[in-house]
Amino acid sequence: MSGAREKKRAKKMRNQPASVTLPAEPGPFPGGGGGRACPPPGDVCSEQQYHQQKFLNQSSGPSYRKDQYFAKGQNRGERGRGRGGWQGGRQSISEEMPKYITVSTFAQARAAEINAMLKAVAQKSSNSLVFQTLPRHMRRRAMSHNIKRLPRRLQEIARKEAEKAVHQKKEQSKTKCRKARRRHINLVAEFNRRQRKNIWLETHIWHAKRFHMAKKWGYCLGNSPTEKSYRACYRAMAKHCLLQDLSYYCCLELTGKENELLKPLARICSTETGLTFEEASCLSGRFEGSLNLYQADRYPEGMLGPVTFIWKPRDGSENRQLWIWVHPALKQDVLRELKTIFQCSEPEEIYIPEPVTTSIQEQKQTDIVPSLGKKRKMEDKEGEKAVPVKKIIGDGTRDAFQSYSWISQTTGIVISDRTMEILRYRLIGPLSHSVLTETLKAASLQTEMADSETGLNNWWVENCKDSEKVSLHQCQSAIFELLEGISSPSEMPPGTILGLTVGDPRVNLPKKKTKAVPDFEKYQDNDKVRQLYLEGVPVDCAHSFIWDQDICKNVTENKISEQDLNHMRAQLLVPGSHLDLGPSESKIPILLVQQPGKMAGEDRPGWGSGWDIYLPKGWGMAFWIPFIYRGVRVGGLQEALKHSEYQRIPHTPNDFPDCQAGMQFAKELETSLLEKFKRRPPAKRVNYVKLGTLSPFFCPWGQLTKNWEGRMKASGELLHPSSPHPERCATEGHSFCDPEAEVLKEASPETGEVETMEVTSSEGVLKTEDVTGTQNFGERDETMTSDFIVLRSEKLLMQLSAWCYPTAGKDRRVRLVSRLGQKEMTEDVFMPILMSYPRALVWVTLSLLRKGNPELHAMICIPTEDDLLHLSKDKLFCGPQEPKHCDIFKHKVQKLKEEKKKKKDNRKALEGDPLNVPDKETTEEHEDLILGLWSGALPDVTSHCSRTLLGYVTRGDFSLAAGCGEALGFVSLTGLLYMLHRQPADKKGLVLLRTPASLQYRFARLNIEV
Amino acid sequence: MVRFKNRYVLCEVVSEDPRCRQCIEDRAVGLAVRDAIGRVHGDYGLACCSISFTVKYVNAYTGTVLLRCRKDFYRLLCSALPFVRQLESRGQRYPCALHTLHVGGTIRTCQKFLIQYNRRQLLTLLQNCTNEEERRCIQKSLLSCSLTEEQSQSGDEEDDGTETD
Repeated sequence: MSGAREKKRAKKMRNQPASVTLPAEPGPFPGGGGGRACPPPGDVCSEQQYHQQKFLNQSSGPSYRKDQYFAKGQNRGERGRGRGGWQGGRQSISEEMPKYITVSTFAQARAAEINAMLKAVAQKSSNSLVFQTLPRHMRRRAMSHNIKRLPRRLQEIARKEAEKAVHQKKEQSKTKCRKARRRHINLVAEFNRRQRKNIWLETHIWHAKRFHMAKKWGYCLGNSPTEKSYRACYRAMAKHCLLQDLSYYCCLELTGKENELLKPLARICSTETGLTFEEASCLSGRFEGSLNLYQADRYPEGMLGPVTFIWKPRDGSENRQLWIWVHPALKQDVLRELKTIFQCSEPEEIYIPEPVTTSIQEQKQTDIVPSLGKKRKMEDKEGEKAVPVKKIIGDGTRDAFQSYSWISQTTGIVISDRTMEILRYRLIGPLSHSVLTETLKAASLQTEMADSETGLNNWWVENCKDSEKVSLHQCQSAIFELLEGISSPSEMPPGTILGLTVGDPRVNLPKKKTKAVPDFEKYQDNDKVRQLYLEGVPVDCAHSFIWDQDICKNVTENKISEQDLNHMRAQLLVPGSHLDLGPSESKIPILLVQQPGKMAGEDRPGWGSGWDIYLPKGWGMAFWIPFIYRGVRVGGLQEALKHSEYQRIPHTPNDFPDCQAGMQFAKELETSLLEKFKRRPPAKRVNYVKLGTLSPFFCPWGQLTKNWEGRMKASGELLHPSSPHPERCATEGHSFCDPEAEVLKEASPETGEVETMEVTSSEGVLKTEDVTGTQNFGERDETMTSDFIVLRSEKLLMQLSAWCYPTAGKDRRVRLVSRLGQKEMTEDVFMPILMSYPRALVWVTLSLLRKGNPELHAMICIPTEDDLLHLSKDKLFCGPQEPKHCDIFKHKVQKLKEEKKKKKDNRKALEGDPLNVPDKETTEEHEDLILGLWSGALPDVTSHCSRTLLGYVTRGDFSLAAGCGEALGFVSLTGLLYMLHRQPADKKGLVLLRTPASLQYRFARLNIEV
Repeated sequence: MVRFKNRYVLCEVVSEDPRCRQCIEDRAVGLAVRDAIGRVHGDYGLACCSISFTVKYVNAYTGTVLLRCRKDFYRLLCSALPFVRQLESRGQRYPCALHTLHVGGTIRTCQKFLIQYNRRQLLTLLQNCTNEEERRCIQKSLLSCSLTEEQSQSGDEEDDGTETD
């Protein structure tokens, strides 16, 4: 029976009298020794007392504890009997003088029973309300609320009941009636209040009606749709189009001279990891680039996080503009680093004029003109009872009165935080550009002012006077129209930028939701399309007016409201016909950026490609709804996660364990998983200690790398051939381990030059280790500190990637290896790598060979020789099993529990009255000993299980794209090399995967995709 | 509402021998009654009666026993009760008889009846008492039962209060 039911029953039976039997026979108990001197046998008084006490006990205590009471009664009885045996005594007495005794005991017993029964009868035992106990003919309708309608004898109880009900009910907080609350002004005020803590995106209300919302990084974001859509979203990604609101990404704008920008920026990124800000194609503004930022001059340590960047195309002036798009979790770190490398201080009001005129004007204007941001508005209208005019478009990532732009006194470089100023939607899927071309129509040229007062479109009219700009616009729109002829966005060069000015998308809204389908026949043999294929979008076309803050502001402020638009629609002569706004139609500058999709690896090239669209703020819903009407599906954060998972790329901030945000994320994940684990009843929890899982809720990267380093040192340097190998791999023979050591020893004298380098590098490493080592002593939390790096050097990854493929057997890929032009895997090649990166992690992708569904924090292990042999013999071999471990903490936990119980009992014995129990006990209950979890410092993580641990999975699931279980994770570089070196040629890259809650290992193929 | 309807039989154990009291316990009474039914009504009757047959309440000091059985077969039970001749427990056996006091549909009615019955018993005892001490004793117990009622009531209130908080 479950606890709740038992409790309920106990409550029901509380007043029921328990059976009363005579105390047991004089048993083996020695009896006697009672502190209290027992009265002589047969004493009426004592007996009477005894009876009364007994019945009192019974009636006052809940009956489910009757055993206890019986035990007490029995003890007492025995005690008495031990002294003189009142049982026997009474017998004799009853024989001697039966009358006297009989009458009084008789009376006592009756009285006691009456008491017990009275109590049982007087109390209503069921969980019903008072009036429900009345027979039906006595019930009255008003009884439920009017106590006086009840019979008088029940009124008292009913009053108590009513009080209880009122007490339980929530307090009515709504002061206004619904009509008042829904009035527009009040509604907006309420919305403003509600987004004070977590900022809403412009599409928030749309999302809130359809999504599970999550509060993350200072924003309210849609997590996943409420409808069933896991597979539908995948299909949209793969075959049609998935839309996502990425407006929460932060945009940092750098303005300054090109050289002065590039010089400090080179310090925070490295050429080894791929692109830099200097990349020629990106610098021209033609392509968007993406790179990993590091703290200045600290590569490969001090990871800041991945960013994407766009340069504004050159427009003649000296100053260049650079947008760096950062995930909000990384923003503060990146911004701080940028401020230090550019030596930017706060400009704002205390700012002294500088030679750089244009940017300053911009800055000043942004300061002076009251923008829609709430902070500025609050400042302006402080004190007044200002009616909130519009939905707040604010920023969740900075404090209320914090500045949002900084200037360097020496170089005049301005860093401004343009978060929430520019919206960003992402369209994923092959049909995303047919959605785009159907939704957006290039703006028509316009030469006369529509309305000179409002300043609507005056920037556009200005532009249309300039023939050069007109031709540029025509060129842009021509290319945009050609996009429809391209079958998938992945066919464009990665990161292509196309600037555009479009008309109001609300005007050509279809009457019904339709699915945008491309019409390829129209473009079948169009030379222009072919040219676009070959050449991509020309540099000029990347220009967009969205770079100009004034124009953005103008566009935002002069938006025709939805209400006016509907009003105009209603006044059309033919209802439902196309609304032609003529010159008053808004023109919106936008930026289209191609997202390359899957680039690494061999299968599914270009999967998940799409377009990002950048809009000026205020226009969010105006573009969102038309997209929806073109049949796109909308995804949330979960869908974004899946998108990156199927692309096998790391997701921000989940898969960046070496940057601050990643560590923070891991910590939060651990606490949430632990909470979830603790919510289960103890008997239903997984005992992870028994399963040999040391860390089911987090990945101890630091410890993993440290242990592997230790193993390497032990096997490579300290070991002399005869001594046993330190690792505890019983299944792996010494024959298996020793050659390695010998090989290593051989390797070092051969390459003397390398060795010296090794020594220096390892010394350096040791030094750094000492520095970091002091921090890393002790607790588990501190294993999270970044004493490891993630290998991101492209050259090394290429090399590793080639080594991961089998070099013999039917799976081998000679072509690929030869294409990569890799060296054979020999000691003199990998030893330097090993020495220069003693504590490195490598991002790997794993695909399971057979069954199995990898999960979060699954362990990647090295298969033993036997496993591989077994696999080659039996193709259906699923994988070995981990032997059960014994729970070494079970003892302690039980002891703790018992102690607690004892303490509880003691307390109960001491205080009969329900005194206020001090909270001390509750604090004691929060011991960090939880049954089934490893407590204290972790032992050597690599050799804890029967298979040597290589790394952990950070994301894993059944991949709908690949049709098998796929996992992404990190492995220790040292461990990986160690494994690859010793695996037979045709079985290279085979690993074992084990989920935290299972003993079954599964075979998986390890890949490194570059 | 559909429910199983039961009958509760309130009986009194009548015995000459005061030692019989120690035999008055759930198991012994149940066994004795079953035995009697078996003897009187055979296997069929025993099986009928044993559906949901239990001893709900036993008081060794007053000799009160409350039995439950299904409504359909309570006649079989009632007719078998006079044939209970002895109680046996812990190897001891004492002759006794069961005296049916009341047959009710709920435990509650049985309890109510028991209160009344006990009161009546006490009153008759008071009337028939011979010496002063007895009288005093009985009066005292009579008073005590009515007094404790209120006390328990108030105690309950406290209980309720603490529980809901």
